[in-house]
Amino acid sequence: MNISTMKLPEAHKNGENLRPSCCSILWDSEADHIVTASSADNSICIHDAVSPSNPPKILDNHREGVTVLALSPDSTCLASGSLDHSVKLYEFPGGDFKTNIITLKLPVCALAFNNKGWVLAAAGDDEGIKLVNTFTGRISRILKGHEGSITSMAFGPKNDYFASLDSTGTFIYWDLVFGCTLYVLKAIAPNYGSDVSLTNILAWSPDGNMLAVPGLKNDVVMYDGVTAERLFSLRGDHLRPICFLSWSPDGKYLATSGLDKQILIWDVDMKQIIGKQEFIECISCMAWKPHGKALAVIDVMGKYGVWESAVQSPMKSSSEDVPGLYVRNGFLLFDEEEESGNLNEDSFGESVPPCRKRLRQRHKNEDEWKKENDDELEYILKFKSFEKSYHGRKDNVANGKSGSRNVISNVVPKVQEAFQPGATPAKAGQRSFLCYNMLGSITTMEHDGYSRIEIDFHDTSRGPRVPAINDYFGFTMASLSENGCAFANPCRGEKNMSTLMYQPFSTWDNNSEWSMQFEGEEVRVVALGDSWVAAVTSINLLRIFTHGGLQRYILSLEGPVVTAAGFKDELAVVMHISPSLPSDDPMFEYRVFNIPNGTRPLRGRLPLTPGSCLKWFGFSDEGQLSSFDSKGVLRVYTNLYGGSWLPLFSASKLNKSEENYWVVGLNTRKLFCVVCKSPESFPQCTPKPILTLLDLSFPLASSGLGADCLENEFMMYKMHLSQIKKSIQEMGALGHDTTSLEDETFNLETSLDTCILRLIASCCNGNKLVRATELVKLLSLEKSVRDAITLVTALKLPNLAERFGNILQEKLHNEAIGNTVLPDIKSNCEDSIRTNNSASSKFFTAPKIGKTSDNIISSPLKHQTASFHLVDKEIK
Amino acid sequence: MAGVSGPHASAFSAAEMEFLAEDEMIEIVPNMRMEPLNFISGDFGPFRPQIPTEVPLWLAVSLRKRGKCTIRTPEWMSVEKLTQVLEAERDSEKFQPLPFHYVEISRLLFDHAREDIPDVYMVRSLIEDIKDVRFHKIGTGLEIISKERTYALRLKNLSAMEANIVRPFVTKALETFHKLSSSEMIQETDHISNRQPQATNRGPRRQLKDR
Repeated sequence: MNISTMKLPEAHKNGENLRPSCCSILWDSEADHIVTASSADNSICIHDAVSPSNPPKILDNHREGVTVLALSPDSTCLASGSLDHSVKLYEFPGGDFKTNIITLKLPVCALAFNNKGWVLAAAGDDEGIKLVNTFTGRISRILKGHEGSITSMAFGPKNDYFASLDSTGTFIYWDLVFGCTLYVLKAIAPNYGSDVSLTNILAWSPDGNMLAVPGLKNDVVMYDGVTAERLFSLRGDHLRPICFLSWSPDGKYLATSGLDKQILIWDVDMKQIIGKQEFIECISCMAWKPHGKALAVIDVMGKYGVWESAVQSPMKSSSEDVPGLYVRNGFLLFDEEEESGNLNEDSFGESVPPCRKRLRQRHKNEDEWKKENDDELEYILKFKSFEKSYHGRKDNVANGKSGSRNVISNVVPKVQEAFQPGATPAKAGQRSFLCYNMLGSITTMEHDGYSRIEIDFHDTSRGPRVPAINDYFGFTMASLSENGCAFANPCRGEKNMSTLMYQPFSTWDNNSEWSMQFEGEEVRVVALGDSWVAAVTSINLLRIFTHGGLQRYILSLEGPVVTAAGFKDELAVVMHISPSLPSDDPMFEYRVFNIPNGTRPLRGRLPLTPGSCLKWFGFSDEGQLSSFDSKGVLRVYTNLYGGSWLPLFSASKLNKSEENYWVVGLNTRKLFCVVCKSPESFPQCTPKPILTLLDLSFPLASSGLGADCLENEFMMYKMHLSQIKKSIQEMGALGHDTTSLEDETFNLETSLDTCILRLIASCCNGNKLVRATELVKLLSLEKSVRDAITLVTALKLPNLAERFGNILQEKLHNEAIGNTVLPDIKSNCEDSIRTNNSASSKFFTAPKIGKTSDNIISSPLKHQTASFHLVDKEIK
Repeated sequence: MAGVSGPHASAFSAAEMEFLAEDEMIEIVPNMRMEPLNFISGDFGPFRPQIPTEVPLWLAVSLRKRGKCTIRTPEWMSVEKLTQVLEAERDSEKFQPLPFHYVEISRLLFDHAREDIPDVYMVRSLIEDIKDVRFHKIGTGLEIISKERTYALRLKNLSAMEANIVRPFVTKALETFHKLSSSEMIQETDHISNRQPQATNRGPRRQLKDR
């Protein structure tokens, strides 16, 4: 569904929730038709450019979004490439489907006709560019050499050369006669990595003497058409890299569209900017009118229009025969309705004239224009949310009308791919992490057809020294534990099956590493534990091996795996359980398996912040399940309320928008992460990234008490206390010694009481007396209650002091009863207590508390009472 | 300590300066796990692999020698920062703010942690250049002492090593000037001559050279 919108200067910039897609636009050679397509839509529209009120022809032969269009030079044959991997040919302008000329293994990103029209080059994420004879459909040649996915290619107008550009910025000149590379220029264009929504583009000048390629400095670099020498660059007002460029048919002008949402028109001979236009959205594709000075543009949201005066009138127009329709200065906009259900002549016919009327009104009345513009924006917003609701429905294509619209977004994948926690994306020529955890790291770098894997432990004194491994499999997944490391590679063709390899670090048998081959399935995720190796495969099998390579269990999982992590005996797996929610949020479920016991202690839905995906998943140092999502929220599983996830960290609360956090691990108090400067979201391998400690904190509402950190501390202590009590229970049930844990409990209780006393103080200062009373009830030690009474007395709140006194009485009374009822607990406690037991233990469940807590509690308290006196004086 | 340093009674030797500089704090990235160390000068640590912590330079160097950590190059020792400082140092009359012990710290790091410094040759030559420019400035600056009556010199941002080198000369020179300019006072008793002539004979204020 393409909706026309005003693309005007000072348009509202809405940077959030963009779901841009790769759109294409073309003119035919007679300028009678405009062809548009979007990677978010499976249909191609042929619009009548002469009389835009006619409904467009819809070609919906593709099953998924159309990424690229190409028209043969004589305008008789239209080619389209799609995410469904196929390239189709159509009659033009009739639009009759001719043939499926070629089907690639991966989505098609680029198409190009040679200037005779009988060779079609097709490429994309596949390896190699395929040159197809359009008559016979035979592949005449495969040009191999690119490492990234090919995003743009073009036949030189003189037909001797062929140029292609990939997403990593590598640019190759090919000799078509011999089918070999002539020049390879690496990293000359922006490297977009795997982000396929941004395409590198190249374009031959119409005379074939020059080739324009986006440069690294937001500029356009011209290369000589024969020698590939850099000639000059056009550098100007683009603030961000250029995502599309197009030569005017006479070769005098060049239009460039940048990610900064503006189009610049250059006079190439003068190397000057002669036109500039800003848009609401980034312009994804442009096409010059074959005989004229108009520029057809389409933005990433699929809205298109014609910029009539792209070349200003003082400049010589490309051609003189400008149809009378296009004399108006400004934009001529078309409404485009592609939604199959809405498509009928009436609605379309009606929708266009008001739009034009509005256009004129805008020229007349500035105020009205603003109002209209606001309306328009609202409309766009609505449209966005509408589109969003379709987002991610790849799985239920058969879902009626909506199913026909497979919205393919290139920013957030519809279904989150399986990932390995602590891995970074592979980059050609650079080392990348296969695994980075609290223990160490596994890095890999491809070099001459094989990779070299290095395993480093952070703690060099403890971890074993592992020699670097030459990896001929091309491992893309790895997991590291103290005992060994596991590697796996995906399936690459029939000969290169998916392999799982395990290498133990220290065994008595030198030859104890093993590997497993998987036929017909491929490993998606590997995880390691104390005595087991787990691999989850593409056919949703969870395979568990022992260290020695014995196949122990094979379990079937309910959905495709997202990630997995191991800790000691426990394996946690996250998987998809159902298609995404209409709001585009994925539905994940986690399972925890206890491998030696053969039990599954936990399962449930994995919570995620709306609009985010899972970034990291693993266990804390203490073995608590934790997850980190792309919105920067860390969640930790606790036993509270029968098992809940607590949000314990939020990157947005730190107010450091220029930093991204790449989580490595956590313990009870701190989050260990690598801080990356935006826009990088993951660290580089060299220099070895260092870990930064961040405090865990609850996302508290602002209470206006001015003691946010105290409130946070209070909740933290409460949580730790409940965890420790739980583990004491578990240990006690197993008959283990719980002395050290009880000591810890005691320490925690004292710190908690200190925290509560401070909170009481700030509550009293803030006149929240009821809250203060509630807090007193939470004090665990009798001494602390007495301190609280002293505190409120010092604060001149006798009323409160009296209440506190009553609470203390009650507490003592209850404890006296408790002591008689549960003498064994008391004695148990006393056992654990150090020798300085005093006789004052009568009132206490834990007698040593009074002793040690004195110095802990009283120090901050003294400080506070002093400051309160000061406050009192000031009031007087 | 000063007694060890030979003929210049007031100057420290380079080794002594280095010793003093070793108390500066520096960030290290340990590759071992260790409990906090409790020293008289304070507690350092805990040491956890791959998590940076601040320790005195002497501890950092000794850990580095044993291969227990890598030293994080201080921010001012980056090529970028040093280039800026060098440029500013050349352009301006004033001394650029650098750590008080920059000569010693950089020397220690070059000696013991070469591998941890990115672009070590560049950094080294930049620091040498900065040092040269600054010493030259001091040299030319000292010439003004002889021209007019000078009672004191204010050298802002002067580093330890630089101050140490010029100290014997400057103090002696100032002392001599002082004696010459208040020759009539010399006859008087020492303790009076210390104060009064300064108060009365004080030259124009601009004699305090702000550098």
